Amino acid sequence: MRYLFLFVGITVIFMACKKDKTIYVQTPYELKIPSHFPDMIIPIDNPMTVEGVELGRKLFYEKKLSGDNTQACATCHAPSAGFSDPEQFSTGIDGLQGDRNSMALINLGWNTSFFWDGRSKTLEEQIIQPVINPIEMHEEWKNVVGKLSADIEYKNMFFKAFNTDEIDSLQAAKAIAQFLRTLISGESKFDVMYKFENNLSLSANDQVIYQTITPSEWAGYDLFKSLNGADCFHCHNGPLMQVQKFSNNGLDAAFTDIGRGDVTGDPNDYGKFKVPTLRNIAYTAPYMHDGRFSTIDEVIEHYSSGIQQSSTIDPLIEYAFQGGVQLDAFEKDLLKQFLMTLSDENFVNNPDFQEP
Amino acid sequence: MRKFKQVVLISLAAVTFFSCKEEQEPDCQTEPAKLRVTVQPVFGSETLYLDSVYSTVEGYDVKFTDLKFYMENPRNGSAVLIDAGLFDYRERGTLLMEGEGSYLDYSSMNANLGVHSSINHNDPAAFDNASMLNIANSNDMHWGWNPGYIFVKVEAKVDTIADANPLFDHNVVFHIGKDENFQTLTFSDVNWSDQGSHHELPLKLDMETFLQNGAETIDLKNEYTSHTAAGQEVLSMKVMVNFKAALTPY
Repeated sequence: MRYLFLFVGITVIFMACKKDKTIYVQTPYELKIPSHFPDMIIPIDNPMTVEGVELGRKLFYEKKLSGDNTQACATCHAPSAGFSDPEQFSTGIDGLQGDRNSMALINLGWNTSFFWDGRSKTLEEQIIQPVINPIEMHEEWKNVVGKLSADIEYKNMFFKAFNTDEIDSLQAAKAIAQFLRTLISGESKFDVMYKFENNLSLSANDQVIYQTITPSEWAGYDLFKSLNGADCFHCHNGPLMQVQKFSNNGLDAAFTDIGRGDVTGDPNDYGKFKVPTLRNIAYTAPYMHDGRFSTIDEVIEHYSSGIQQSSTIDPLIEYAFQGGVQLDAFEKDLLKQFLMTLSDENFVNNPDFQEP
Repeated sequence: MRKFKQVVLISLAAVTFFSCKEEQEPDCQTEPAKLRVTVQPVFGSETLYLDSVYSTVEGYDVKFTDLKFYMENPRNGSAVLIDAGLFDYRERGTLLMEGEGSYLDYSSMNANLGVHSSINHNDPAAFDNASMLNIANSNDMHWGWNPGYIFVKVEAKVDTIADANPLFDHNVVFHIGKDENFQTLTFSDVNWSDQGSHHELPLKLDMETFLQNGAETIDLKNEYTSHTAAGQEVLSMKVMVNFKAALTPY
């Protein structure tokens, strides 16, 4: 009996501190942040890892996330279109369409709200929604989890990314968010112009690009930030080419979609939408929250002569009283040439962002 | 022998219970004292809310839609609270800045209204992540090229016609920056209030004073826009001087 006590005691000692399972040590992922960008603030509960990004990339292109296994995130956010949809409105798995244009996924790690109306405050929160939206992927997360759990490759990838045998929607959202945070665009001709104007050092490659910037592109940039020119800079500013705010940019005198007002319930927010980045604008047509403009020329014409007055119009659209900034044909062409400098071919063609 | 085995057993049991216990840090660290500076916008005797209507002495109705400013280098002698505070009434409410230290070190306070020329033109991405001067935090308070930061931003919509029709179609935009408009602030004998978790210095921003600063009035019908551009020097300076006069201890 005494020996039995001894045996039990010793066994307890050995069992007490034993780890329940094997722990996989993730590899930290180092973001490639351009020198003229601020640091990206990563959520404490979703650190960037190589395994998480790899899983997120696979999930981004995974059609099992939709109800009939025909659509992935990438269906409406195609790399060749700056991770947006060339169609005015995306069509969901049931053939239904929404009433807002699919947003471009560029430099999201620096954004502070998501969706045109900003109803999500984090990327992780945003990612959950399209899957369950009945006019988009029309699926339940429990079914998605079931489909992924039945796939041994996903089981392994989730284990490596999150040390878990039980897949859930939050982990899937976290992984996709990690991948989306890698979608950084900062290698356009505009980036060299920005660095030059701010007295930041130019790399050898920047120097080469600098030599290719034409006088017309510089003139277009001057117009872009001129109060008496195109006056675009109030909302499209800094290295991100956007400010974090909601604005009514004079599209309508009466609103069919109240945008931000739907989220806040505040009439002062009616007709306001998230200011998008202009980066890669050449790839991201159509434009505006409802994709009403098919071409950059139409966008320029809107700000030049098509501004509609309303009670919530952004006071920064200072020439609204005369319908816009009234650019002539030559100025419109210069402005368009500048907007083309925002194209970042390395971004849309980056092999790390394509379907694995 | 029997006693020895009992001792061994008891020891084993004790080891079992204590072997995996997390070591706890001795709870002897004192939380650093927190200091907050807040700004309450008012219009005369009324609390000011964005998008609400206030009447000017000229008889205009005005709705302020945005109030922002930088207060940089808040200090008293060698004590510096933080590098810069950014007031953004819509997004951050009344909080101007939060730092650590003893309120006793700040019996009076000097600060800059705007950003000093020595750092105004630095790379805005290079400031510490927590700094309000970092472009991720400054957001639309930095011009994306060399002029630097916007020191003071006031945006409003005005109904300049005294009739029964509330038509706020007259936009007011003051975006004032550039080194020549930089101002200094001095608050003497400031009173910090004990809020339990922190000490707070409440300031007041009276937008009625901003519009009616003695003889320096801003008539919103005629003086409604400045981006600190060429030809706007006089109004830009008046906006800064009046804003400085409007910002006082509460």
